[in-house]
Amino acid sequence: MKIDVQSLDTFNKLAHEGAEEATRSMTQMTGIEATVEVTKISLVDREDLGEEFGRETEFVGVQFGFEGALTGKTVLIFERERSSEIVEALVPGGNADESMAQSSVEEIGNIMMSGFIDGWAEYLGTTIDHSPPTYIERTGKDILPGSPDTNERDQVFVFSSEIQWEGENVSFYIYMVPEYEPLTKLMSEHRDEEADAIPVEKLAAFNQMTREGTQRAAENVEMMSGIETEAEVSQISFAPIEDVPKQFGEETYVGTAVEFTGIPSGFLLVLFDEQSAITVAEGLMPMEMESSELTDKHKAAIEELGNIMTSGFVDGWANVLQRSVEHTPPRLVHDMGQAILDPLAAQLGQHQRHAFMIDSKMKTEDLEFESKIHALPNEQELRETLDDLDLDRADQTEANVDQLF
Amino acid sequence: MAEVLIADDSEFMRNLLREILEEDHDIIDEVENGVEAVEVFKEQQPDLVMMDIVMPIRDGIEATDEIKNEFPNSNVIMCTSVGQEEKMKEAVKAGADGYITKPFQKPSVIEAIKDVVPS
Repeated sequence: MKIDVQSLDTFNKLAHEGAEEATRSMTQMTGIEATVEVTKISLVDREDLGEEFGRETEFVGVQFGFEGALTGKTVLIFERERSSEIVEALVPGGNADESMAQSSVEEIGNIMMSGFIDGWAEYLGTTIDHSPPTYIERTGKDILPGSPDTNERDQVFVFSSEIQWEGENVSFYIYMVPEYEPLTKLMSEHRDEEADAIPVEKLAAFNQMTREGTQRAAENVEMMSGIETEAEVSQISFAPIEDVPKQFGEETYVGTAVEFTGIPSGFLLVLFDEQSAITVAEGLMPMEMESSELTDKHKAAIEELGNIMTSGFVDGWANVLQRSVEHTPPRLVHDMGQAILDPLAAQLGQHQRHAFMIDSKMKTEDLEFESKIHALPNEQELRETLDDLDLDRADQTEANVDQLF
Repeated sequence: MAEVLIADDSEFMRNLLREILEEDHDIIDEVENGVEAVEVFKEQQPDLVMMDIVMPIRDGIEATDEIKNEFPNSNVIMCTSVGQEEKMKEAVKAGADGYITKPFQKPSVIEAIKDVVPS
C-alpha cells in the first residue's frame, strides 16, 4: 500500500482544520482565545505513544471512540493543574462543585470534538459516528488511549495538535489514534496517482532502522560517559515546514548541528537541555569540573559527543542502503530550540513545503539527563531513499570492520 | 617508542588519545584537519598517524590517500566515529592500515596499534 506527500498533507490539514474548528467552538463557549500551534502526523512505535507527556504529569480530559470510514479513539486533554482555570472560564464558580467541573469538561470536550470529527466525515463524504465522551484522569503517557488496532502492529499513526491559550501558559492537546489499516487504505485511495508515492511498509521499516540508530547512539553515550542510557522514542512525523521550529519551543538547548549529504541530504541535530549537557559533559571528562555552568570544556565535550552520536544514528541508514552518508564536522549550537531550527527549516523550505522529521529521545532513570536527536532530511531525497530501501536488508545496520581490515 | 601524529578536529578527542597513548608512544604533534596532517607528516614522517575522517578543510580519507601515495610504507589508522561500510571501503582504498570506531576503550586502541606497528 502506498501513500504520497499529497495525501499526508491532506490528512494533516484535516486534523489541523478539525483542531481549529474545535478551538472556535471553545472560544464561542468560553471566551478563551486560543490558536492551534502545531498539527502533525507521526508514525510511532506503539509502546512510545504519549512519551512526550512524561511519567509524572497528571492530565484530565475526555476520550471518544469513533467509527465509520475511520475507526479509532481520540482525546482532548490538558494538564490537571491547569484544569481549575479552564473550568472557571467555562463555568464561573464551577470549581466548587467537583461533579459540575467534571460535567463541564465533558461537555466542552463533546462540542469541541464533534467539530474535530465532523470535518473528517465531510471531506470523506461519509459519516463518522462517535461515542459519548468519557471523562478521564491519568498520569503521563497513560492519558492516551493506545491504538485500538486489533492486528497488534508495532507502529501506529497518530495525529496530534497543540492548542495554545493566548496570553496564558495553558495548552490543550488533541490526539487522534486511528486504526492502522483503514487509515492507510484511505490515504492510499486519496493519493495522487501521478505523484511519487511512499510504500507505507518502508516508512515503518525506516522508523525501525531509526530506532536501532538511536539505540547505538545511546550505547555511545553510555560508553563515553558511563551514564546508563536508554533509547526511548523513535518516530517519523510529517508537518508543514513552517511548523517545524514551533515544535522546539523556547527552551534552551545545547548540542550540535551537522549537515549530511548524499541521498538523503539534510540536517541532523543532537540536543541536550542545559542541565543534561553539563551532566553528560562531566561524565565525559576525566577530572571533576569546578563550574556548575557550561564552560568551553563542557562545550568541547558536547561537540565530540554530538559527532559520535550523529554517526551512530546515520551509519545504520548508510549500511542498509549500501551507500555512504557524509556529514560536516559538528557545529556547536546553544540557543532557544525554535531559534536553532529556524535557519535550517528556512534552508530546506527553499525546496519543499513539508518536512519529514525523524525524532528520537534517550534518557536515564536516575540522573537528570535527556537527549534528543532530530533529523530533517530533504523530502524528495527521503522518498528516493525509501524507494531504494530493500526491506530484506533492513536489519543489516552494522558494518563489520574486521572483514575489511 | 613509536612516533605518533594525532589528526582530529576535536580538542576533546585529541586529549583523550594523548592520554591513552603518551605512556608508550611519542606524540610528535596534534593537528586539526587533513591539510595540516599531510604537511606535518611530510615534515616529520612519524611511525603512525591516528587519523579522524570527518574534519574541516580536508577530510581524513583524502589526507590518507595523499600520504600513502607519497609514502607507501607509512602507517595510518583511521580513528573515527563513522561506522559505515562504504566509508570503510573508501578508507581501505586510500590505503588505511586500520580502523577504530569511536567511542573506543584504551585496549582497542592499543590492540589496533600493535596490529599496524609491531613493537
